[in-house]
Amino acid sequence: MADLVWLIPAFPLAGFLTILLFGRRLGDPKAGYVATAAVFASFVVAASIYFDLLGRPEEERATVVTLFSWVPVGTLQIDLAFLADPLSILMVLFVTFVGGMIHLFAVGYMHGDPKFSKFFLYLNLFVFSMTLLVLGENLLVTFLGWEGVGTCSYFLIAFWHTRESAATAGKKAFVTNRVGDFGVMLAMFLSFQAVGSMSYSVLNESAESGSLAASTATGITLLLLLGAAGKSAQIPLYLWLPDAMEGPTPVSALIHAATMVTGGVFLLTRINPVITVSYDWVPTTIAWVGAITALFAATIALAQNDIKKVLAYSTVSQIGYMVLAVGTGAYVAAIFHMVTHAAFKALLFLGAGSVIHGMHEEQDMRKMGALRAFMPITAATFIVGWLAIAGVPPFSGFFSKDEILLYALADSVPLYVVGIVTAILTAVYMTRQVIMVFFGEARWTSLANAEEAPEVAEGEPPVETHDAHGEFKPHESPPIMLIPLVVLAALAAIGGIINLPGLFGIPSGGTYRLEEWLHPVIEFGEAKISDTWAYDNKYLLVAIAVACSLGGIALAYAIYLKKRLPPWEPTLFAKGWYYDQAVSWFMGNPGRDGFEAVAEFDSKVVDGTVNGVAVAVKETATHASKRQTGYVRQYAGIIGIGVVLLLGWFVVIRGIL
Amino acid sequence: MLAQIDTFVGPEVGWFALSPLLTLLGGALGLMLLGALTPQWPKGLYAFVSATTAGAAAVLAMVQWDDITDNGPTTLVAGALAFDTFAMFMTITICIAVILVSLLSDDYLRGTPNDGPEIYALYLVAAIGGIVMSSANDLIVLFLGLETLSLALYVLAASNRRSSESAESGLKYFVLGGFASAFFLYGIALVYGATGSTNITEMVTALQSSADLSTPDTLALAGIAMLIVGLGFKVAAVPFHVWAPDVYQGAPTPITAFMASAGKAAAFAAMLRVLVIALPFYRDDWRPIIWVLALLSLLVGSVLAIVQTNVKRMLAYSSISHAGFILVGVEAAAHQAGDIDAGPGMPSVVLYLMLYSVLVIGSFGVVTVVARDAGGDSSLDAFKGLARRRPVLALAFTVFLLAQAGVPFTSGFIAKFGVIQAAVEVDSYAIAIIAMVTAVVAAYLYLRIMVTMWLGEPAGGETPEPLAVPFSAGVAIGAAVAFTLVVGILPGWLIDAADQVTSYAR
Amino acid sequence: MLAADTGPIAFPILTALVLTPIVGALLVALTPKTRPEITKVIALMSSVGTAAMSIWLMASFDTGDAGFQFVSKHTWIEPWGISWHLGVDGISLFLVVLTGILFPIVIAGIDPHHDEKPYLAWMLMLQAGVMGSFLSLDLFVFFIFFEIVLVPMYFLIGGWGYENRVYAATKFFLYTMLGSAFMLVGLVATVWIASDDLGKVTFDLVEIAEGADFAASTGRWLFFAFAIAFAVKVPIFPLHTWLPDAHTQAPTAGSVVLAGVMLKLGTYGLLRFGLYLFPEASYWSRSLWLTLAVIGIIYGAIAATMQKDLKRLVAYSSVAHLGFIVLGTFAFTTQSMTGSVIQMVNHGVSTGALFLFVGWIYERRKTRQIADLNGIQKVAPIFAAGFMVVMLSSIGVPGLNGFIGEFLILTGSFLTARWWTVVAAAGVILAALYLLWAYQRVFHGEPDENNKDFPELRVKEALTLLPFLGLIVFMGVYPKPVLDRIEPSIDVLITHVEAHTDYVEPEPTVVVGEHSDQEQSDAEEGE
Repeated sequence: MADLVWLIPAFPLAGFLTILLFGRRLGDPKAGYVATAAVFASFVVAASIYFDLLGRPEEERATVVTLFSWVPVGTLQIDLAFLADPLSILMVLFVTFVGGMIHLFAVGYMHGDPKFSKFFLYLNLFVFSMTLLVLGENLLVTFLGWEGVGTCSYFLIAFWHTRESAATAGKKAFVTNRVGDFGVMLAMFLSFQAVGSMSYSVLNESAESGSLAASTATGITLLLLLGAAGKSAQIPLYLWLPDAMEGPTPVSALIHAATMVTGGVFLLTRINPVITVSYDWVPTTIAWVGAITALFAATIALAQNDIKKVLAYSTVSQIGYMVLAVGTGAYVAAIFHMVTHAAFKALLFLGAGSVIHGMHEEQDMRKMGALRAFMPITAATFIVGWLAIAGVPPFSGFFSKDEILLYALADSVPLYVVGIVTAILTAVYMTRQVIMVFFGEARWTSLANAEEAPEVAEGEPPVETHDAHGEFKPHESPPIMLIPLVVLAALAAIGGIINLPGLFGIPSGGTYRLEEWLHPVIEFGEAKISDTWAYDNKYLLVAIAVACSLGGIALAYAIYLKKRLPPWEPTLFAKGWYYDQAVSWFMGNPGRDGFEAVAEFDSKVVDGTVNGVAVAVKETATHASKRQTGYVRQYAGIIGIGVVLLLGWFVVIRGIL
Repeated sequence: MLAQIDTFVGPEVGWFALSPLLTLLGGALGLMLLGALTPQWPKGLYAFVSATTAGAAAVLAMVQWDDITDNGPTTLVAGALAFDTFAMFMTITICIAVILVSLLSDDYLRGTPNDGPEIYALYLVAAIGGIVMSSANDLIVLFLGLETLSLALYVLAASNRRSSESAESGLKYFVLGGFASAFFLYGIALVYGATGSTNITEMVTALQSSADLSTPDTLALAGIAMLIVGLGFKVAAVPFHVWAPDVYQGAPTPITAFMASAGKAAAFAAMLRVLVIALPFYRDDWRPIIWVLALLSLLVGSVLAIVQTNVKRMLAYSSISHAGFILVGVEAAAHQAGDIDAGPGMPSVVLYLMLYSVLVIGSFGVVTVVARDAGGDSSLDAFKGLARRRPVLALAFTVFLLAQAGVPFTSGFIAKFGVIQAAVEVDSYAIAIIAMVTAVVAAYLYLRIMVTMWLGEPAGGETPEPLAVPFSAGVAIGAAVAFTLVVGILPGWLIDAADQVTSYAR
Repeated sequence: MLAADTGPIAFPILTALVLTPIVGALLVALTPKTRPEITKVIALMSSVGTAAMSIWLMASFDTGDAGFQFVSKHTWIEPWGISWHLGVDGISLFLVVLTGILFPIVIAGIDPHHDEKPYLAWMLMLQAGVMGSFLSLDLFVFFIFFEIVLVPMYFLIGGWGYENRVYAATKFFLYTMLGSAFMLVGLVATVWIASDDLGKVTFDLVEIAEGADFAASTGRWLFFAFAIAFAVKVPIFPLHTWLPDAHTQAPTAGSVVLAGVMLKLGTYGLLRFGLYLFPEASYWSRSLWLTLAVIGIIYGAIAATMQKDLKRLVAYSSVAHLGFIVLGTFAFTTQSMTGSVIQMVNHGVSTGALFLFVGWIYERRKTRQIADLNGIQKVAPIFAAGFMVVMLSSIGVPGLNGFIGEFLILTGSFLTARWWTVVAAAGVILAALYLLWAYQRVFHGEPDENNKDFPELRVKEALTLLPFLGLIVFMGVYPKPVLDRIEPSIDVLITHVEAHTDYVEPEPTVVVGEHSDQEQSDAEEGE
């Protein structure tokens, strides 16, 4: 069964080609259904492979399926090959499932968009690339998917390309990611130089067998970390993700929350043996990059008013958690959080999409409030997502986050503190969002949107109620959008079961648990914490975690609903610590001037020299030919000079001397 | 006294060996005689006669070529003339020039007072002079040839009585030419003083016997300086080139073609005779001078050419830069002058001379046709849009220009390549590179003319009247194009021939 | 790399490849003005014939054989030891094929708008010239083809180009001619000096390269004489400024051919007549070339970013891309050099296609200024999509052809020239920057008055584009057949360099796991 792993990318590819050829004919909504079907088909395949592997003994759960030799030159032999192992299969499972759900949602959300079929064309291409990314047997195949998803995200962010901001955001995303790709490419070269191959098995084996020098391992790790920082929107390259919200909301849910942005974390997990054998300070660096990003993004999320921007920064923050986990050797926890996050963040984004849809493209939370009455199901599911991300037990987020914090503490106290603070902030800003959107008094009026309706005409679904100037009333979204919400809500609620900790008498062990399942992949890198203080006081940690999340919620409740406390939203946060402005300024002014200078140099100096020579020759010629008077006496004179010189040479120099 | 008279024995003449010269002489005399006796001949017959005469002479030269290659070179008329492949090669070159120029002149002279046998007779006389120069084995004989050629050219240059320019150019040429000839003659005298002979064979032996170069013979050196002045003037090498632009521009175009081809060829042949063949023992003295002359000619010729506005003047300057190129070959020959293995220098020079002669005649041929149509105007404007008025003619000119620029698949490339090869084989890289670089500068000139022809707007606007190409001129140009391309693609046979000229007579 | 001694083969395919276009050109030139339709037919027939032969050549090319194949050798200019010596190996094969198929496409697909007859004649002449340069194994023969190519290109730019064409054409002609001026002297000197070792004067590349052994100093001088000519042709910074002018002013077909095959004369020359003839000198001077190459990559990209003329932008992108090729060439590893060769082809395809688009934009809007264009994607989505694919290939997105070359070059260079490679890899970021920025300005946004009825891609244009897109995808997904044919010749070339220098190609230490075994088996299947 596992030999059929190639089917997983095959289906979305088929879907892509179908829509490419017949997209216009299929049209709205058939094209959407085709795409959705393709994705669910790969989910089915993935599931069956999952059970196939499950039936095998642990050490036989990795299968390599080689399609053909892709880039064979001398010692460099790269196949287009897939690696079906617990990690990759787990990834495709949630990628295809969540992806499928989002496809379904999008069928409703994009309904009526003139470029409906093209949207699903891109979505399928994206899923195809994403499956390549996770299934790749070597760095190059992963890179193929890596760039593929990047390109698709560029297409989809700039989907409403007539909007300047969207186009710019798309370009920004691509270029920023290229900086990361630079790292990934160098990592590939280094891997080839060190072990003569780019295949994960060879690379990891050499790391485990100790034949990989620590320096090389460090190089590879740091370069891949750069790549991860790009793809997974970590400091310093996270800049593109908030802007990426220019894309349609399903895109934000699929690419910029659930799947693509976790690629970096996946890649680092994939090569965990290499991280393990690199210098000691390397994992610490990774951990701190994640921790700082988590905190930093959380503070920014605290002061955002755009419903999607809040979620965007929250995503950055949550992925920060995952990177932190990777840095502390908590690979299981990282993947665990990745899965749960995929569920509840997708849910939150889709919920936000549903709200925006219901509010007729309104995204400013200050113009919302008290919407629970108008869109009950959206509200309910959104609240589930909120509880999950806030880390309230028994919702999924609680378990995964708790696991990460545990490992963080086992690694070092400061990391743990940062993690906890972030957890509190997360609770606060999410509660703030829920209150601003669904509770409190309604801050929207019939006219609030009347002016704004035209601005966002592009891609706006034809609204079934009212014309823009008439009486305005938020409305619940159609069933096709609600079903995914409900399903994802269910996942977000109970997702924790895939890796329940052995607490409260829950039987530990048993292959259904993520920990056991991933064991063969990460055993070399996974941190051993069973003898740490943190491990012995798990219950305490759980208590602290719960207290923090509830505390955070209470705080936000007090501030935003009961108005007991003044809201604390400094501009510094609202403006994202001015980091984005600083970078843009640098690119815009010194950077651009520098480029201009080079262009000037080229035309003035380099080309100037060339033309200068030509002009010089011409000038000389003109002057010289002016000298020629045409008088015989002048000519005779010239000849005379020649005679004198010749005599001088022959008689004096050659003769007498 | 009487006894002496009785015992006087004329030198062994070898009439057959002289047959090319005699043929040309006969042709010249015949033309004059018949022209004087008979009424106007049917049009074109003069040209035909002079062309066939030259043709016959060329054929005879070829016949003798085999004779020489079989029996080896020798001298004639008591060692006055050399009977060797070198002489024959130059004879053929000059004869070809005469043929082509005659064809060009035919239509050109129609309706002018010169529409008679005189011009053609002068061509033939000039050719005789040229041949004598290139086959002279005695400096005095060489001087005779030189004067014969020069006088004929002076007259030809001034032959267009209706044009003051023509008269002016003739006069300039005459005055300066005389000036130069004087130097040349003086040079001969000095060398005679040094070697006790004007006969090249005897000079060489004399020098060989008194081959004491440790104490240089100032007399001989001064003589060489004078000789170089005279020769440099004839080949129009900078700084002795000053006359060339004005004379080339002023003289009737076919005459210019003749000067640039036969005139130059003969002059270079003389230079080889005097310097390489007669004075190899001083080669280290005069080689640097040749090097400098080459350098100056290349630079001045190519640089000054690009700013001219008159095509004839452009070609005049370009011919100066070509002279520079040929001098590179001479410089290469100088390295092995007098050695048993004479090296590729001389062959490269004679090859260049033959190929260039055809090229330049072709080029001036086109100018003749165009200028004639434009009422004697040979400025660049006259060529605007030529491609629209006469595509084939424009194409022909393009071939000639590309060939002069040294573009492959044309004879011009072969010529340049030969010279460069010769220079490189004696390790004179510097001059070789300079030559190639100046060739690039010169290329700008040719491109400029091509642009004017192909992209310029013809005077007639959208529907310019087509330009008439006279038959004979057409034949000449066509033949030149064919030769240029054929030699460009299959040069082997000609190179083989040229390689044999190093077996010259002493 | 000895000329494989394939005896008298039935049909002199290589000679035919060179002569067919020439004959076609002559026929075109001879057809009467009154029958314009015939000229087009003749031109197509001869160029398509050439294409067919080149494809047949590729099909019957012996993959394993590293030496020269289909060799035909006849004495030509005997006294000078020059022979008509043609042959093809893995390095030249695909350039020949590209030359073969590119011309019929542009001849069929692009309309010169005026004076079609001479235009077609020059195009065919150009094809013959380029073909000859890629096939010749005799220094003299190579030089004359290398040089003659200037003439048709000069007339194509000068005759069918844009506003500033005469300046551009002249600059192109003189600049390149200046380069080859040095090569000619160097070439003759090479032959002359080699004749001491060989005991005879011959221009035969193989005999000289295998037989002659130049003293280090001599070889270096000679190498530089050649290298200057190639550096101008490539072009390598700082000798590149003729390229933007020539590209911008050339007619569309001219630009396509210029980018497609003519620039490759330089890079090909460096491989065939630089490394092969003067291994010692080229290895000795490698750091110079690597540095210039990297400068070219970054510098070209930056300059491209700031261009206001779309065509100029693409031209500067060529400078950057060819920098990669030079980098790979002088990194002396199997991967990098194979990458360079395949990149020559890939760059030809993708940049050629980019020039097609720029040409079509100009035909529609009569401008190349980025500022005058906007919102085209809205009015002409298919047009935009096509451009997008080509652009992505040029950016080097995996799965498309552009990536394979760059990846191989960088992977290989990393082994021997790590820090140069690091800088070069940064150029990949810039490539995305300038192309995406240009794309945004031209295709994104709301179309204004002038652009709002920008015509969609036409059928003829689509058909012209199709082969390009096909190659872009195929070479990106399955380059193996191409690589397998290139690599043997590259291996031999590297061995040749190793034999003449103290250079030893670094072999990555392969960790033998069960997977790398499987790789081996795959490699064997590949043979």
